[in-house]
Amino acid sequence: MLGKLDWSAIPFDQPIPLVAGAVVLVAILGVLAWVVVRGHLPYLWSEWITSVDHKRIGVMYVLLASVMLLRGGSDAIMMRIQQAVAYQSQGYLPPEHYNQIFSAHGTIMIFFVAMPFVIGLMNLIVPLQLGVRDVAFPTLNSVGFWLTATGALLVNISLVVGEFARTGWLAFPPLSELSYSPGVGVDYYAWSLQISGVGTLVAGINLVTTVLKLRTKGMNYLRMPMFCWTTLASNLLIVAAFPILTATLAMLLLDRYLGFHFFTNEAGGNVMMFMNLIWAWGHPEVYILVLPAFGIFSEVVSTFSGKALFGYRSMVLATMAICVISFMVWLHHFFTMGAGPDVNAIFGIASMIIAVPTGVKIYNWLFTMYGGRIRFATPMLWAVGFMVTFIVGGLTGVLLAVPPADFMLHNSMFLVAHFHNVIIGGVLFGAFAGFEYWFPKAFGFRLDERWGKAAFWFTFLGFFITFMPLYVAGMLGMTRRMQHYDVAAWRPWMLVAAVGMAVLTIGVICQIVQIVVSIRNREALRDRTGDPWDGRSLEWATSSPPPVFNFAFHPDVRGEDAYWEMKAHAKQQLLEHEEPEYQDIEMPRNSPTGFVCAFFATIMGFALIWHIWWMVILGGLGAFATFVVFAWRDHDEYVIPADEVARIDRTNLEERRSLVSMAGAV
Amino acid sequence: MSDQTHGLVKHDLAPGEEEQHSVGTRILGYVVGLVLALLLTATSFFIAGTDLVWQPSIPVALIVLAIAQMGVHLVFFLHITTGPDNTNNVLALAFGLLVVFLVVGGTVWIMAHLNANMPPMDHIMQMRS
Repeated sequence: MLGKLDWSAIPFDQPIPLVAGAVVLVAILGVLAWVVVRGHLPYLWSEWITSVDHKRIGVMYVLLASVMLLRGGSDAIMMRIQQAVAYQSQGYLPPEHYNQIFSAHGTIMIFFVAMPFVIGLMNLIVPLQLGVRDVAFPTLNSVGFWLTATGALLVNISLVVGEFARTGWLAFPPLSELSYSPGVGVDYYAWSLQISGVGTLVAGINLVTTVLKLRTKGMNYLRMPMFCWTTLASNLLIVAAFPILTATLAMLLLDRYLGFHFFTNEAGGNVMMFMNLIWAWGHPEVYILVLPAFGIFSEVVSTFSGKALFGYRSMVLATMAICVISFMVWLHHFFTMGAGPDVNAIFGIASMIIAVPTGVKIYNWLFTMYGGRIRFATPMLWAVGFMVTFIVGGLTGVLLAVPPADFMLHNSMFLVAHFHNVIIGGVLFGAFAGFEYWFPKAFGFRLDERWGKAAFWFTFLGFFITFMPLYVAGMLGMTRRMQHYDVAAWRPWMLVAAVGMAVLTIGVICQIVQIVVSIRNREALRDRTGDPWDGRSLEWATSSPPPVFNFAFHPDVRGEDAYWEMKAHAKQQLLEHEEPEYQDIEMPRNSPTGFVCAFFATIMGFALIWHIWWMVILGGLGAFATFVVFAWRDHDEYVIPADEVARIDRTNLEERRSLVSMAGAV
Repeated sequence: MSDQTHGLVKHDLAPGEEEQHSVGTRILGYVVGLVLALLLTATSFFIAGTDLVWQPSIPVALIVLAIAQMGVHLVFFLHITTGPDNTNNVLALAFGLLVVFLVVGGTVWIMAHLNANMPPMDHIMQMRS
C-alpha cells in the first residue's frame, strides 16, 4: 500500500534532524495559524499564491531562495564545526549524517538558493526594464515557480522522512547506483531535481521569449539595459543546458528503478559517461548563475557612479562570448578522469580563454567608476566587494584550468575554496546587491543603510576568514568532504575557518535585522518617487511598488539608459500639467494552475521516491487534469478601466512633479 | 506621447501571434511538406533494401536523406524561413545546432580518449608475468 514507506523511515535515533524538523514544522504551523487567525488567507491565496504577476512571482522566488539560504547555511555551519572538532576524533556527526549534510548543502545552495534568487530578480526586473506589462507566458511563470518550490519541499521532507543522498551534490555513480546507495536518498535528490528542473526550464523559455519578443517601442537590442542582456544569455543557457541534466538524471533513475545499465560498473555501463554529461550541464550552469549577477553589477556600478556603463557594446559581446564558450569547457571538471594531453590541453585552453571576456567586464566596471561621482550605498558596496573577491576566485580558477596543476589540486580543499570564492563572491554578492538595489522598487520603501552596511562588512570579512584558510589546507593536501582527519597541520586552518563561519553568520543575522528594522521604519524609508537611487533604466520610471500593469503607457525609448534620457528631457515637460489620454489595459487573470499543478507534482514526486505506484498515477493524472482545465479556460484576461489607470498613474505623477519642482526651487 | 497604444516593436511577432496568410496557402504548404516528407521516407526504406545502387554508398545516402528530411520539417512544419520575422528562429536554430554539435561531438571525442593515460593492454599483461 505505501511502497517502501513505514515507520523506520523516521530517524528516531538521530536527534539533530528530528529536532530541526520539529522546529521548522512548528514555525511553519505557527505562521499558518497566524495567517488563518488574522484572516490573511484569502489575501494570500488571491494575491500571491495564484498570482501570475511577474513582480509577485519574482518576490516569491527570492523569498524561497532566502529561506533555503538559511537551511543551506545551517548545513554549512554544521560542516565547519565538524571539521573544526573532528581532529583525531569522530567529531559530533556520524559519518553518514555528515555525508548527507554536504550533499544537501551543495544541492540546496545551487538549485534552491542561487537559482531561484537570480530567476526571481530577473522575473521581477526584466519586464520593468523592457518597459512591458508582464512576461511572455504569465501562467507558465507561476507553474515554473511552484515546481521549483516542490523540489525544495521534497529536499526538506528528506530531513525527517527517510534520508538524503550521501553522494555529494552531483550524485556520481557508481556510488549513486542502487548497489551502493540502496536507500531513498538518491531518489529524493533525483526526483526533486527533475521536478524543479522542469520549473527552471519553463522559467528559461519564458524569459528568453520575453526579452526577444516583448520590448517596448524603440527598445532595440542595443538599447536594452545590461541586465536584460545577461538575462537573455543566462536563459539561453538554461534552455540549452537543463535538458542535459534532465536526460542524465533520467538515465540514472532508469538504472535505479528499472535495472538499466547506463552508468553501472557491470553489463557495459560506463560511469565516466555520467561525469561527462552532468558537467556538460554543470559548467553552463555556473554561468547561468553568474551572468545575471554580472548584469546586476553593471546596473549598480553605473547607477552609483552616475555614469553610463563604460564599453556597453564590449559588455554585450563579452556576455554573448561567455554564453557560447561556456559550452566548450566542461572537461576541466574531470581532467584527472583519464583523457589524454590533446583533450586536456584543448579544454584547459578554452577554460583560460573564458576568463578573457570576464576580465573585459571587470575593466568595464572599473572604467565606469573612473571619474564618476561614486555613492557608496549598500548595493555599491556589494559590487565593489564582488570585484575584489571575484578577481581572487577567478585567478585561482585560471590556475585550476592548467591540467598539471589540476592534477595536484583536484578534489582538494583548494577547489572547495575556489568555487565558493566565485559563487559567494560572484553570485551571492550579486544577489545581495540586486536585493538591496531593487528592494525599494518591489516594496516601496528602502532598506536600512546602517544595518545593510554592517551586513556587507561582516559577510565580506567573514567570507575571507572562512575560505582563505581552505586554500591553504588544500595546498597542504587536505581533500574535500572529510568527515574527520589526523593531520595536525590542517587543524589550525580549520579552526580559523570555523571562526570565519561565525563572522559570516553575524553577517546573515545583520541582514535579517536589516529587513526587520526597515519594515518597522517603513514610513520613514518610504520611496514616493519610484526612483530612490537616481536610476538610469526604465524600472525607475514607474512608481514603487509598480502598479499591476507596470506602466500606464508603454514608454518610448530613444537611446541607451532610457530613463536617464527621459529625465534629462522631461524635467520641464513633467511640470506642464498635460493630462495624457488614458486607455483600458488588459491584464492576465490570476490562476491557481501553478499551485495545483505543483501540489500534484509533490504527491507524484514523493510517491515515486517511496515506490507508492497508485499515488504516482494519482499525482500524474491530477497534474495532467490541471493542465487540461487550464487549456480549456474561457476567460484569461481582465480589463482595468481607463479611470482606474488614470487614478493610479496621477498619484505617481503628482509625487514626481512635486520632487521636480522642489529640485527646481533649490 | 503619441502612438502609445501599439507599444511593441514592429516587424516582429509576439508569442501566439501568427503571420497573416490565407488558409489556402497554409494548407498548401503543409500538403507539400507532407508529400516531400513521405517521399523522402519511402526513398530511405527503398534504398536500405535495394541492390540497385553501389552497396557502400547506402549509409551515405541514408544520411543525406535524413538531413533532407530535417530540412523539410524545418521549412514546412516549423516555418523556418529567411524572412525578416524569422531572425530569432534562425538564430535559435543555429544556437541549438551549435550546442548539440559541441556536446555530442565533445562527448564522442572525450569518451574515445578516456583510456589515453592507461598503459596499453599488452603492457599490463607483461607486468603480470
